[in-house]
Amino acid sequence: MSATRVLAVLAGALALAFAALPAGAQDEGGATGLHLSGFATLGATAVDRSDLWFYRSGFNKPGKRRVDFGNDTLAGVQGSLRLGKAGDLTVQAMTHESPLGSYDPRITWAFWRFAPTPTLSARIGRLRAPFFMLSDSLYVNYAHPWVRPPQEVYSLNPFSDLDGFDLLWQVPLGRLDLEIKPYYGTGRIDLLDEGKARMRRIRGLNLALVGEHFSLHAGHGEGRLQLRWNDPAYHQLVGALNLAGGAAAALPARLSGKQGHAGFSSAGFQWDDGRNMLIGEFVYRRADRYVNSAHAWYLTAGRRFGAFTPYLTLARQRQERPVARADGLPAPLAAAVEAFAASRNDAQRSLAVGTRWDFARDTAFKVEWSRARVDRGAWGSYFPNSATPGTTPDGRTVHLLSLSLDVVF
Amino acid sequence: MPRPLHPLLAACALLLWVAGVRAEFVLIGHADNPLPALSREQAEQLYLGRRDALPDGRTAMLVDLPPGNLRDRFYLLLTGKNPAQIRAWWSRQVFSGRALPPREAGSVSEARQWVAANPAAIGYLPADAATDGLKILLRLP
Repeated sequence: MSATRVLAVLAGALALAFAALPAGAQDEGGATGLHLSGFATLGATAVDRSDLWFYRSGFNKPGKRRVDFGNDTLAGVQGSLRLGKAGDLTVQAMTHESPLGSYDPRITWAFWRFAPTPTLSARIGRLRAPFFMLSDSLYVNYAHPWVRPPQEVYSLNPFSDLDGFDLLWQVPLGRLDLEIKPYYGTGRIDLLDEGKARMRRIRGLNLALVGEHFSLHAGHGEGRLQLRWNDPAYHQLVGALNLAGGAAAALPARLSGKQGHAGFSSAGFQWDDGRNMLIGEFVYRRADRYVNSAHAWYLTAGRRFGAFTPYLTLARQRQERPVARADGLPAPLAAAVEAFAASRNDAQRSLAVGTRWDFARDTAFKVEWSRARVDRGAWGSYFPNSATPGTTPDGRTVHLLSLSLDVVF
Repeated sequence: MPRPLHPLLAACALLLWVAGVRAEFVLIGHADNPLPALSREQAEQLYLGRRDALPDGRTAMLVDLPPGNLRDRFYLLLTGKNPAQIRAWWSRQVFSGRALPPREAGSVSEARQWVAANPAAIGYLPADAATDGLKILLRLP
């Protein structure tokens, strides 16, 4: 990873945005106009184990160095064109280290929004898959107290794009707002070693109750799941299972293919009275094949002291059903299946303490220390360093130090 | 013998002083804006991006002052949020594709011009700024 590469891509994207700006688009008195903005994070992580990397499954690639800039560093630019009565157009491009290890920018938002009534709006195009309470602002680290949203919860569904449409209906209830948000679409992501996953016919409904200092969220979405692993461990296992025949030969169809169905539910709350904040979320993933079923939660408490906001987070992910069971297989094959299932199981518990420091306008510095205990039969948020074969994160305790600088412009 | 202050001037000064004590900011609209006034709650919803329509259904064109003390003070009075909280809040609104931020004027006088030129515009000015030809919708605090 190189931070200069991110900056170069960012500069290029900005230049493009300006070049595309029609002359006189900044119509001062009128209802039309272009709005440009952006966000970026420069982040570094280090773990206290030389044979493990911290990484964000479905988002980036395990590092190569002890200090890894690839987990949190990202940059995005966004342009919105107001079309007056016809609504607005928004495009956002973002660059970060992908699961393929590249920093190629990708389009993360591209939609047309139209509001037929003051309380109802519709968006069509590329949207964010709203599986979590904070999906919409997932990568805008400046908007959050943490270095990154707690991974126990936010790794449980790496699909972030939704190509489709959504509706937002706001119903005033006294001093509160009830928000009803149905959505429909398709999403795809890259996995390590050029694996791919796709969710089709994603349909779901989010409800939120928003007050002055608090909000409640509940949502459920489901769809068809396609998944193709392409890493050496997967190919080795499938080869061995097919060779063994019998019951073993039925297993590959459970590990990847096009016949899956996955559902995802989330519920959460946020309280922020300006001095104290409390954020909690519970999520549940249920899949009939290809990925495991699991649930996760976190609870964060923070308090503002001038420019500092220290916080404490407890988080937990537990597996409910592994992706494949080794029952009845000969011992060496059973061990291989279990090892494969462990590498696709992010279960762990962690305690994190950190602080945000708003030291300058539009800029925040964050530092976070966490202690994670990876479950037995799981890899958690960690990946074994291939230079030291035979060691995996399974059942181990890992400390992670994260530093980040977030800006918005 | 010192010349006594002209009574009219003195009255004006007193009026400005009283206005300054009673309100720090005024929320303003176009002179033809049919709204009689905005409630504090309505103004807060607009400036936090939770609504983009005026109570009569028209889409509001919100105007911000340039980044600085005046703007920070206005948001603190209206929403109780400090500059970092407001920026974090608006980052969430904008980058989640939820709302577009108010248009940022280059100066107090430009903000006044934009509101004077657009019937759907809503802006805010320090209470001691000239507001001739504009409609005052709310006084803060």
